[in-house]
Amino acid sequence: MDKHLREMLAGYVDGELSGEERQAFEKELGENAELRAELEEFKRLKEVTGMVKYADLPEEVWESYWASLYRKTERGIGWIFLSIGAIILLGFGLYQGLSGMYTDPEVPLWMKIGVSGVGIGVIFLLVSYIRERLFAYNRERYREVTR
Amino acid sequence: MKNSGVRTMDTDIALVTDIKAGDKKALALLVERYKKLAYRTALGLVGNKDDAYDISQEAFLRVYRSAGTYDESQPFLPWFYTIIANLCRTWLKRRSRRENRMLDVDDVSYLMIDDANPEAEMIRKESIASLRRAIMNLPFEDREIIMLQHFRGMSYAEIADLLRIPRGTVMSRLYYARKKLAKLMRGSDG
Repeated sequence: MDKHLREMLAGYVDGELSGEERQAFEKELGENAELRAELEEFKRLKEVTGMVKYADLPEEVWESYWASLYRKTERGIGWIFLSIGAIILLGFGLYQGLSGMYTDPEVPLWMKIGVSGVGIGVIFLLVSYIRERLFAYNRERYREVTR
Repeated sequence: MKNSGVRTMDTDIALVTDIKAGDKKALALLVERYKKLAYRTALGLVGNKDDAYDISQEAFLRVYRSAGTYDESQPFLPWFYTIIANLCRTWLKRRSRRENRMLDVDDVSYLMIDDANPEAEMIRKESIASLRRAIMNLPFEDREIIMLQHFRGMSYAEIADLLRIPRGTVMSRLYYARKKLAKLMRGSDG
């Protein structure tokens, strides 16, 4: 079946064809048994889907919908401040703890290398995670614009 | 601050502009206007009431956080719909990895007989169960077009505007989606 007929079939079932299109389609329908069979199948499908609907939520859920969402907006702001504060405190603590260690001749070399290894590993993982998040964010925004 | 009586008549774009400035009352109005639509759209795409509720809330949070990226020369609904659809895709991918698409995780009551329809009683429960399964086994894009046309009752022009696709594409996508749905239902019945 050609593309035009497929489109017309969908439009015919949904009553979306103009008078002229409908006449042309019905003429084709009289001559095409395969088309008639598909039309019947689609009509049955439409009948079945027309008899069900999506389940709704109880009214009290809708009444508390905004309150629940509002709490989430507040939590988001809380997390941002908490994260910034934690990063500052953690960074300061690490700087204070590690700056003394590297200049202290009594701390063995293996300890300095081990701590440096852990630090470099954490930085790599952090950069990789941020890059992945930024990539995902950009892709999502792109979809929003071009869809 | 604008008068709330007047604000209920604000356009969607005016509300998003206010949300950009951090106005939560504008967000509340937008939520009131579209919460049920957001939930039903997500429900049609993920087939689970609890997840549809969470996705609808996350969609409004995205609107709140990403209002700065909204292009005011474009209508609001297609932008909002894309946010919901993207969240649903992500949710389905996660579920697919987590549960390997086991049907047991689907909410069996997400579709119900429409009481307003007198013929509804004639449909066997098995047919509805078969329809639920078939819809959830459709590829995302097919489920999307079936949801919009069959369950939301949108016209082709409205679907074309929402998905930003030509009317002819709406028609051919519906054709293929219906073919697949009919086949899945036949397979499920037999």
